[in-house]
Amino acid sequence: MAQVTKAWMLLLALSGGSTVLSVAVARGALTGTAVTLGGAALLALAWAKARTILNAYLRLDEAPAFRRGFGLTLALYALLLLALYLGG
Amino acid sequence: MTQPTDTGRSPFDDLPGDLMIWVLIVSELLVFGAGLAAFLGVRLTDPAGFAAAQDHLHRAAAGINTVVLVTSGWLAALGAQAVEAGRIARSRALLTAAAALGVVFLGIKWAEYAGKAAEGIGVETHPFFTFYYLITGFHAAHVAAGIVVLLLVAFRARPREVEAGTAFWHMVDLVWVLVFPVIYLLR
Repeated sequence: MAQVTKAWMLLLALSGGSTVLSVAVARGALTGTAVTLGGAALLALAWAKARTILNAYLRLDEAPAFRRGFGLTLALYALLLLALYLGG
Repeated sequence: MTQPTDTGRSPFDDLPGDLMIWVLIVSELLVFGAGLAAFLGVRLTDPAGFAAAQDHLHRAAAGINTVVLVTSGWLAALGAQAVEAGRIARSRALLTAAAALGVVFLGIKWAEYAGKAAEGIGVETHPFFTFYYLITGFHAAHVAAGIVVLLLVAFRARPREVEAGTAFWHMVDLVWVLVFPVIYLLR
């Protein structure tokens, strides 16, 4: 199976995870701290999807140094979003 | 300025595709990244108001659009591989299919905006919607541009141009997977 096809399947699975979490929050299955943890998990899933697109679709897997650089920057940005989210 | 190494190779030679498309990708990511960070920053001033405004969004439609866009990106990536392998007809078919899914994305987005307009929700209804229209509208404009780019490179079917065109499309995809949870899902 082509790497991009594996990446696509992973992206669908991660998107499914986001959907399950958001439905759980919308239906009130998560309350209090669990809602906040769910939000943090949503950001983690978004970070994983972004990494997958960078590495597989945009082929940074072929350039390890750039993959590490983009990966670090993306991780720091995800932490910034998480801090802003938790601050609310 | 990039300094060549002793072997005459620039470190940027390792990047897949043209350096300029990566400059464009990074520039766009910075713009959208700043927009999303500003959105969450303003949300700090009125979390309840932002949550109430978010309830007017159609999360399922946006979720479907995520699947549409990542699938379109997959088809575009396969199209780029096909043209490199000299399979021009297959590449054109895959890139056209990717562009068609882009049209589906815009159709769903249009229905979403029409729903908001019917509810009387506009840019000035609440700061949430100011950011919502600004960020998702700017993204939709990139999707529209990407569709044109994909169709152009499908028509010409040259590996270097297809690589650049699909890289732009993947950037649009990448931005959406960040926009979707921040705008539509975070409570």
